[in-house]
Amino acid sequence: MRKSLAGTRIREARRKSNMTQKALAQATGISASYLNLIEHNRRPVAGKVLLGIARALKMPVASLTDGAESALLGDLHAAAAHWGDSSAETGTADEMISRFPGWAGLLAGLYRQSRDQEAAIAALSDRLTHDPFLAESLHSMLSNITAIRSTSNILKSIDDIEPAQQSRFHNIIHEESRRLTDAAQALVTYFDHVSDQTGGSATPEEALDRFLQQHGYVFPEIDSGALTVSEILMREATLKNPESRELAKGFLEIYARDTKQMPLADFAIAAKECAYNPGVLAQKFNTGLASVFRRLSGLKRRDIDAPEMGLIVVNAAGRAILRRPLRDFALPRHGNACPRWPLFQAFAQPTRPITARLDLPAGQQFICLASAQDICGEDFGQMPEYQASMLFISTTDLPLIESWLPATGPVQEIGISCRICPRSNCQTRAEPQILASISETV
Amino acid sequence: MSKIVLIIEDEPNIVESLSFLLGREGLEVHSENNGAAAMEQIDQTKPDLVILDAMLPNRSGFDILRDIKASTAPMPRVLMLTAKGQPRDRQMATEIGVDLFMTKPFSNAEIVSEIRRLLGI
Repeated sequence: MRKSLAGTRIREARRKSNMTQKALAQATGISASYLNLIEHNRRPVAGKVLLGIARALKMPVASLTDGAESALLGDLHAAAAHWGDSSAETGTADEMISRFPGWAGLLAGLYRQSRDQEAAIAALSDRLTHDPFLAESLHSMLSNITAIRSTSNILKSIDDIEPAQQSRFHNIIHEESRRLTDAAQALVTYFDHVSDQTGGSATPEEALDRFLQQHGYVFPEIDSGALTVSEILMREATLKNPESRELAKGFLEIYARDTKQMPLADFAIAAKECAYNPGVLAQKFNTGLASVFRRLSGLKRRDIDAPEMGLIVVNAAGRAILRRPLRDFALPRHGNACPRWPLFQAFAQPTRPITARLDLPAGQQFICLASAQDICGEDFGQMPEYQASMLFISTTDLPLIESWLPATGPVQEIGISCRICPRSNCQTRAEPQILASISETV
Repeated sequence: MSKIVLIIEDEPNIVESLSFLLGREGLEVHSENNGAAAMEQIDQTKPDLVILDAMLPNRSGFDILRDIKASTAPMPRVLMLTAKGQPRDRQMATEIGVDLFMTKPFSNAEIVSEIRRLLGI
C-alpha cells in the first residue's frame, strides 16, 4: 500500500496556523505523542480524529487527506498504461506528485484531454455513420465521382466517339464536376457549423459536465426564484451545442422541480435536524429518495454547513445520467464504472435502499446509499423503467450521519473503473487490468 | 437476338455512360429512373439483366430486388450498384439473392466484364 502523506500535510497546516503540537492535540482530544506519530505518517488518521484536526485547523478535511493526490496518482498510472509501450516508472508516481506536482498535474491533464479526444472521435465516427445529411452528401458525391470517372474513361480509351456524343460527355464531366464542388462546399460549411457548435467540448456530455462544474452543481438563482431555467440558459454562452443545451435544460428543469418540492432554506434546516437522513427527508417532503439524493448532493454551500456528498445516477443500461464526483471519489466520464458499486446492486432490489461502507484502492472510505426507482408513472400496462442513484459521503464526515445510519456490514472493496483499478483477484473485473496490483507498485 | 439490359438508376449521367458502354457491346439497353415504376418496366422490357441502384427515389433497390426474386416471370440476373459499401448492405443483397453487388465508383472495364459474364456472352 502506498504511504499516506496526510500527516505531512497536517504538520504543514499546523505550522502555518502557528499552533504547537500540544495545542492542536488538546483541541483534538488526543495526546501530543500520538499527534506526533500522525504528523510523521507513522499512524493513519481518519474519522473523528481527522475531523477534529481539520476543525481545529479551520481547514476542509479534504485538503488534509490524500484525495487529490490519489486522483492524480490514478490518472498518472492510467496515462502510463494508456500508451502501452511506455517505460514510465509507475512505482515512483507518488514521488513525482510530491516533488513535481505541477508537472504531474500537467501530465494527468494531457492524459484526460487525450481520453476526451478519443471520445470525441468516437462521437464523430458515430455521427458519420448515422447523420442523414452526411449520408446523403457522401452518396451524392460518390455518384458524381462515378459519372466523372466513367465518362472521362470513355473519352480517354475510346477513339471513335461521334462528335455530338463526345460533346455530351464533356458536358457531363463539366456538370458533375460542378455538382461535386457544390457538395464538397456544403460539407465544409456543415463541418464548420458543427465545429462552431461544440464550443471546445468533445461531447455534449462533457459540455454539460463543464457547465455543472463551473456552477459548482448548484444554481442559487433557481433556489431563490431570481431566474427561471430559460433565463439561465439564455445567459449561458458556454453551451453552444444544441445537444448540450438540451442536456443542461433537462438537468435544470429537474433542479427547479426539486427546488419547488424541497425549498433550500427549509431543506437545509430539516436535513441538519435529521442528520441528513434521506429516508426522513423523503417522508417530510413527500418525495422519493432519488430527489432527496439530488438535493443532498447540492446542499453544501458557502453559507450552508453540510457534509459534501457525491452522486451518480445511471439508467438500466449503466449509462450515467448525472455525475457529481467528489475530489476523493472520481466518477468515470465514459462509462465502465466498477461493477461492484452498490449502485448496480440496487437494480436487483428496486425501491429497497442499500447502505454500504466502501473502500477505494487508495484507502479512502465512503458511506454509500443507493436506491433504484421506477421513473415511469403508475399507469396500468406501463413497463417499469428504473434508474439507480448512489449518494456517497466520506467517512471523515461519518460523525455527522452515524446517529441514524444502519449497520453497513463488512467494508466492500471497490474501484473506480476496471481499467485503472489495481485490485487483483477481482471476480467482477470487466476489462483487463492495465495497472500493476497494489502490492506490485510499491 | 441481342440481350436486353435494363438500368434502374436515378443519376442520368451514369445511365448515359453505362448505356454508351453496353451499346458498344451489342446489348439492347433500356433505363428507368423511378423506383416505383421499376417492376412495370421489367414486365415491359423483359430484360436478361437488371442493373439496379440501391438508393432510388420512391422505392429502395432492395425492395425492388425482393419483388424481382418473388416474381413468377422469367427471372433476370441482377447486378446491384450502390454508393453504400457497408457490409450489412452487401449481406442483405446477398440474402435476397442478388447475382452481383458492386460499389460506386466502378471501373468501366470491370463492370463491362462482369456484365458479359452474367449474360454469358
